[in-house]
Amino acid sequence: MTVGVAAAVVVAVVGAGFLVQRIALPTPPRASLVALRAATHLERHRLVDSTFTLGGSTVHGRCVQDWFSIGGHRRRGAALRLDDGFVLLAVPPHTLSSSGGTAVQRAASPLVLMELGGCPRVLARRLETLAQQRRGLTLRGSRLFFSLKGTRVALTLAPSTGAPLGVSVASPGVRESGRIRFIRMTPGLRQRLSVDALRRLR
Amino acid sequence: MATFEQAATAPLEAGRRKACVRWLRLLAWIAGWWLAGRALIVAAAVVIHRFGPAGGIRSLEHAHTLGPLVAWDGRWYRMVATGGYMLVPGRQSDPAFFPLFPVMLRAGHALGLSYEAAGLVLANGGFLVALIAFHGLSQRLVGDEMARRATTYLAVFPFGYVFSMVYPESIVLALIGLAALAGLERRWGWAALCAAAAALARPEGLFVALPLLVIAWQQRRTLSPAARGVALGAVLAPVASIGSFSLYLGHTLGDPLAWSQAQRAWGRHFSPLGFAHAVEGLGRALSRDAWVARDVAAVVLYLVLLAAARRAGVSWPWLLSGAAVVVVPLFSGSFDSVGRFGLLVPAVFWGLAALGRDPRAHRAILGLSAPLLVAAMATLPLRFP
Repeated sequence: MTVGVAAAVVVAVVGAGFLVQRIALPTPPRASLVALRAATHLERHRLVDSTFTLGGSTVHGRCVQDWFSIGGHRRRGAALRLDDGFVLLAVPPHTLSSSGGTAVQRAASPLVLMELGGCPRVLARRLETLAQQRRGLTLRGSRLFFSLKGTRVALTLAPSTGAPLGVSVASPGVRESGRIRFIRMTPGLRQRLSVDALRRLR
Repeated sequence: MATFEQAATAPLEAGRRKACVRWLRLLAWIAGWWLAGRALIVAAAVVIHRFGPAGGIRSLEHAHTLGPLVAWDGRWYRMVATGGYMLVPGRQSDPAFFPLFPVMLRAGHALGLSYEAAGLVLANGGFLVALIAFHGLSQRLVGDEMARRATTYLAVFPFGYVFSMVYPESIVLALIGLAALAGLERRWGWAALCAAAAALARPEGLFVALPLLVIAWQQRRTLSPAARGVALGAVLAPVASIGSFSLYLGHTLGDPLAWSQAQRAWGRHFSPLGFAHAVEGLGRALSRDAWVARDVAAVVLYLVLLAAARRAGVSWPWLLSGAAVVVVPLFSGSFDSVGRFGLLVPAVFWGLAALGRDPRAHRAILGLSAPLLVAAMATLPLRFP
């Protein structure tokens, strides 16, 4: 009898507690949940392949997210490398440098290039912040819209997994789009992309 | 002319009236101390708003006069109340904040208050209830004189500014007191409800289970089998309540342990060696952030006060549950916020009341508490409680 009543009290507490939370607490907006899922995919990968248009021509790029040794400090950053030799290195808070490439590429905003190149951390951090604040995200079908430092970004997401498949970026005077694909990082690729980017920019 | 019946009930009614007057006087006395303590805090908040450092609550501080009181975790509780839970892996996110207080914020909002106003009303009103419940419990456990001193000290305790912030601490303390009082009064259904609610508001609510267990054990021979079952249920209610939170998180976020995961982003990760890591890393932590010293001092103070409570004859379940509230968080490898957690330990205030037996000590404690309360409040823009 005693144990049965105690068990009933425990079940009642669990049930009532769950019901109170279920009824009284709101669920986050769907756009926030979708953004978080996309951010999780981005955070899981440190290397992204991209194909995008820039100034009328199509370019192929690779963005690697890694630790870079700069001025004796190891800091997290991103290196974007395009097929025609353009390299952009962005390591907050003070390093932003580029080399090679065409005049259009050199004139383009580094942020726009990194967004189009699908640099995962840049996009993921913004998505996480907006998802957490439950604002600034619009979901239309499989496209997720948000803004990032003056640019308007639209991510095309895979309907089944929610993984980002494409990026469109609009900012004053720029309207470009492209596709992105996550690549598995290997030590060889890491050596080639991160270390080479640093060497070329020194 | 009075009838025989009226004559027989007259002394009874006079006794009731006397008890009622005594009760009202006691309430007025508690309310007076509550008002005095809260007035100090509100005055300090106004001064901070006008002249104080902006620190880490810049925008909130300037939003309105009581801005400092809605800062820090208050923002997270409001976020849960307005948008529900969302776990952002690797980042500080809201499942670390237990659901009862956001549910209450929503209820206050439904009545027409803003979330900030609802939080302030709940926290400060909850503290008045906490003082009344604490006094009642103290009277039962440590006697009238100690109860009065302990209640006074609680009302103006330096870390007690948290009881006026949009934090659930005052409500949890009220629920802990009410759960134990209900147990002592053999109202085990109410005890279960209060204990469950306490744990649904803060994980420290879990530790009320130990005093409840001992109270239930002491009553075991005088309770019917069904009542014993309810008493046992009340002891298990805090665990069940935390289970309901995990169930809810599993249902909404797909991770029943999301609250524990979210804690990690605050540098809290429980491990058997966490305590050793916390002590070992103390030097490093202090050199990085001198504010850690405040919480280290709080841990030492609370342990000293628990020792004083032990000498004063406070029963071991209260001492043990109090020590657990103070020491268990250290197993997460951090001293952060233990000063706040210790506010939920009734035995700490009984220990302080024991030290205040000497009139000079009593005057010194009160004389120090008020300015320290204001000073602690003044640090609010610079450091979370």
